[in-house]
Amino acid sequence: MFRNYIKIAWRNLRKSKLLTGVNVLGLAIAFAACILLVLTAWRELSFDQFHTNKGRLQELYITVQRPEGEESRSNFPIPLTPALKQDFPEVKAASRFIAISGSIRYHDKTFQADVKSADADLLKMFSFPLIKGEMHQPLNSLSNVVITANMAKKIFGAEDAINKPVEIYLEGEWKSFIVSAVAKDIPDNSTISFDVVCRFENTPGYVSQKDDWGASSNEVFVQLADHATVAGFERRSGTFVNKYFTAILRDLKRDGVAPGKDGQLMSLHLMPITTIHFNSISSSGGAISKTYPYLLLLIGGFILFIACVNFMNLTIAAAFSRSREIGMRKILGAVKTQLVTQLWGEAVLICLLALVTGLVIAYLLLPGYNALFSNKLSLALLKSPGLLAGVLLGFVLVTLLSGGYPAWAIAKINTLKVLKGSLQAGKSNGLRNVLMVTQFVISSLLICCTLIAWQQLDYLRKMPLGYNRDQVISIPLPYEMDTEQALQRMRNSLSGQTGIAAISGAAINMGRGRDGASQSSIIAMDYKGHSVRSNWLRVDYDYVKALGLTLLAGRDFSQAYGTDSSGLVINEKMAAQLGGVQAALGVQLPVLDSAHPLTVIGVVKDFNFKPLKEDIAPLTMNLVKSWPVQYIFVKVAPGDLQGSMALVKKQWKQLYPGSDIDPSFLDENTDRQYRREQRYSGIFISAAILAIIISCMGLFAISVLVMTRRTREIGVRKVLGASVIGIVALVSKDFVKLVLLSVMIAAPIAWYVMDQWLQDYAYRIHINITVFVAAGGIALLVAVLTVSIQSVRAALMNPIKSIRTE
Amino acid sequence: MIQLKHISKHYPVGFGKNEVLKDVDLTIFPGEFVSIMGPSGSGKSTLLHILGLLEEPSTGEYLFEGEPVQRMSEKKRTQLHRGSIGFVFQAYHLIDELTVYENIETPLLYKNMPASERKSRVADVLDRFNMVAKKDLFPNQLSGGQQQLVGIARAIVAEPRVILADEPTGNLHSDQARVIMQMFKHLNETDKITIIQVTHSEQNAAFGHRVIEIRDGKIQ
Repeated sequence: MFRNYIKIAWRNLRKSKLLTGVNVLGLAIAFAACILLVLTAWRELSFDQFHTNKGRLQELYITVQRPEGEESRSNFPIPLTPALKQDFPEVKAASRFIAISGSIRYHDKTFQADVKSADADLLKMFSFPLIKGEMHQPLNSLSNVVITANMAKKIFGAEDAINKPVEIYLEGEWKSFIVSAVAKDIPDNSTISFDVVCRFENTPGYVSQKDDWGASSNEVFVQLADHATVAGFERRSGTFVNKYFTAILRDLKRDGVAPGKDGQLMSLHLMPITTIHFNSISSSGGAISKTYPYLLLLIGGFILFIACVNFMNLTIAAAFSRSREIGMRKILGAVKTQLVTQLWGEAVLICLLALVTGLVIAYLLLPGYNALFSNKLSLALLKSPGLLAGVLLGFVLVTLLSGGYPAWAIAKINTLKVLKGSLQAGKSNGLRNVLMVTQFVISSLLICCTLIAWQQLDYLRKMPLGYNRDQVISIPLPYEMDTEQALQRMRNSLSGQTGIAAISGAAINMGRGRDGASQSSIIAMDYKGHSVRSNWLRVDYDYVKALGLTLLAGRDFSQAYGTDSSGLVINEKMAAQLGGVQAALGVQLPVLDSAHPLTVIGVVKDFNFKPLKEDIAPLTMNLVKSWPVQYIFVKVAPGDLQGSMALVKKQWKQLYPGSDIDPSFLDENTDRQYRREQRYSGIFISAAILAIIISCMGLFAISVLVMTRRTREIGVRKVLGASVIGIVALVSKDFVKLVLLSVMIAAPIAWYVMDQWLQDYAYRIHINITVFVAAGGIALLVAVLTVSIQSVRAALMNPIKSIRTE
Repeated sequence: MIQLKHISKHYPVGFGKNEVLKDVDLTIFPGEFVSIMGPSGSGKSTLLHILGLLEEPSTGEYLFEGEPVQRMSEKKRTQLHRGSIGFVFQAYHLIDELTVYENIETPLLYKNMPASERKSRVADVLDRFNMVAKKDLFPNQLSGGQQQLVGIARAIVAEPRVILADEPTGNLHSDQARVIMQMFKHLNETDKITIIQVTHSEQNAAFGHRVIEIRDGKIQ
């Protein structure tokens, strides 16, 4: 019986090669796209799920009410963690966590490494298993470090790493450590990562800040006791805040800040470790918004649905031409379930063929996909039981939707009608039309969203930022170097060279450099009885000139004045807090300590020193040496930009022969800020293109069927004198109407969705009606072209032939 | 074997109804070879469909082997289709995607017969119809008469007690028609299969024992 079914299915597939091809290819492409999207989403959703204690692990964050609004952050004063462990029985374990260095040295060989400092609890709380060395108290001594297997291999090769001495570059010098244990490599879906981890007491500034409740730096991870709850912890945290943050609370009260929703000025909260990947409050996490993985799944579902609809339409259409077989089988004694099984089985066969093809396509596309969207995916992910179950479930759903419904529809038709031949294939097209409209709604929706997202990105990329992006080279300086000296030497060797306009430095890059780093620091101080907050940016002489900022009052930092090390250059937003551009000049601010105030010497026009998602905030630039310069900025003359870049590289090589730098122009850096958006818009564009292609494959197949059915009508019309154009218009009309309707449905949905998305950006475009017209135009054009292939062929056919064939 | 009592059949047409069969009484005994004759539209095909359980009468009672058909479940009717009733159609209605062999085998598949028995049954039938050489051909590679032979072979392979034939020779020329009719006669005489055929031709009717004339929905 089963063999008989398969035989019939196979012969049917071979009989209608074109339609089968469309079906299988469409589904296969959809499966491939879906697999890639599901893998991407799965990887994002799998972040931090591997910790055995994941249900108990939390990251601490604090919410503070400020005059300018509520602020949440996950950075804490150093003394908070010991106090937390002491005051809260709910806290079973807790660890501070912060990045402290980027370089490690062994026998004069220096390696790039992600060096973190943490409390000993870290390795007990999280599932970072040790594989060698001291298993129980690897961070017992202050001079112990734990390194990952990969790092150990890099540093020591085949040698045993345990008890080897290494040096880490900290606070301008090399400090000695002993490797006490080797940890298994950290999975790449872990938010918390390190190559090397040492005791928190080695953190730069630890000694001076270990009792300072005013400065915030490290993150805090907490493991709750078995019976403790997050709500219980947060309830009791009020007392804790009042006990330790007295000074800050006093200032907030003085500034007249209104309490937040919970009635508190400051409150501690916990977020589960499994959510920090999606939570931008977390300093380590917040890589993407939680909606993105689900959006990917949704798009994958859309594409699959479109392919399923094709399948359904074609199966129904083809099945009616098989109704004689079905009727005969009924008479020979087949019951309905047997018929449904047979027809559904055929669908399963086609789907299986498509799934296998899809897997092959996905496998072939994966390297390119990974490179394009900087992912690290592999099909091996499919082995995880959850995902496998999901894929199988999806597959069964697809076969049920695409094969099950048509099977049921055919199996219930009246036997006698079929045999008498009074049943016409595809007489009622209601369902088919609804399905086709749905397909094109989805396609148009994706096209609209893609166009709008692309416009927004283009707008961000082209928007003037208030500083020069094209002519400024940014050089990230190596960690283990005396950066002040490096800046000075580069300044000396470059100044005066042709093509070099200005040289300066800063502690923070503009945009994101090739090192991918971005950071910011914020200071608060009292001015005339209220507190003033500002971004804090260490720069160097000629910063205004090098970046092409516009001075509104005062002057740039200059070596010509001996007193500039206590000077400040601020932006308009900061000046507004100090009483206006002119009034701010000469103001003395007690930033570091009140005995040595810093003086405002210049005010610059606001410029976007942060990504355009954020509005411009107050900014204070200074020359305070305790924040060392990390980047050199070189402004070069327009014209030979690449020549200037080569010159900069050459000079550096001469000064530091053993050291490599990776300079980049600032416009590259600002583009890199929108990498995530670009990545996702790339996925969106591909999805939109796929959706429209697959929809059109379905449209094509349907038009083939319709034309075959209308051959005689077209022949008769031609005999009666209809023109080719008239006939093409006649048969395309129905499809065009459906596509137009779809665009009309999709436009408002797209407008609403994208308007929500744009709200994320401080600087955004207004959605223009032309987008929808363009999207409609694209959908319509592609659809008309698809249908025309068939209708023109039908119209050009010799009428004698088409009439005779009936 | 078959007993119809006061059978009527009408279809709704607009506000009224179109009466196709009016108060038909008919008894057919086992082993009979009956021909139903009548002009177009007289209701003979409808009568055959009712006999074959493909259509339900509007009123009246139908006993198949003594059992009232109206009270049979869907399952029981399917059982009758599988084992007791064979059909032969004017347009053959072979399954185009299956070979001669597979077409004949299909009813046995629905009877869940074991493979070995199935094989020998189909082989027997092929042998009997002299079609062994053609068993791997598809229906469109055969002439009309050959297709109808396959149709008959398919109808008898499950060894039904009655064959219902709806103008079995309507699409064939006279030579082919004679072969088919002889086959029916042979089946009736040697295998004791009851045969009921609808036909237009006096010649064909002559092969049977009894002719039932039907006119305007009534048996004459």
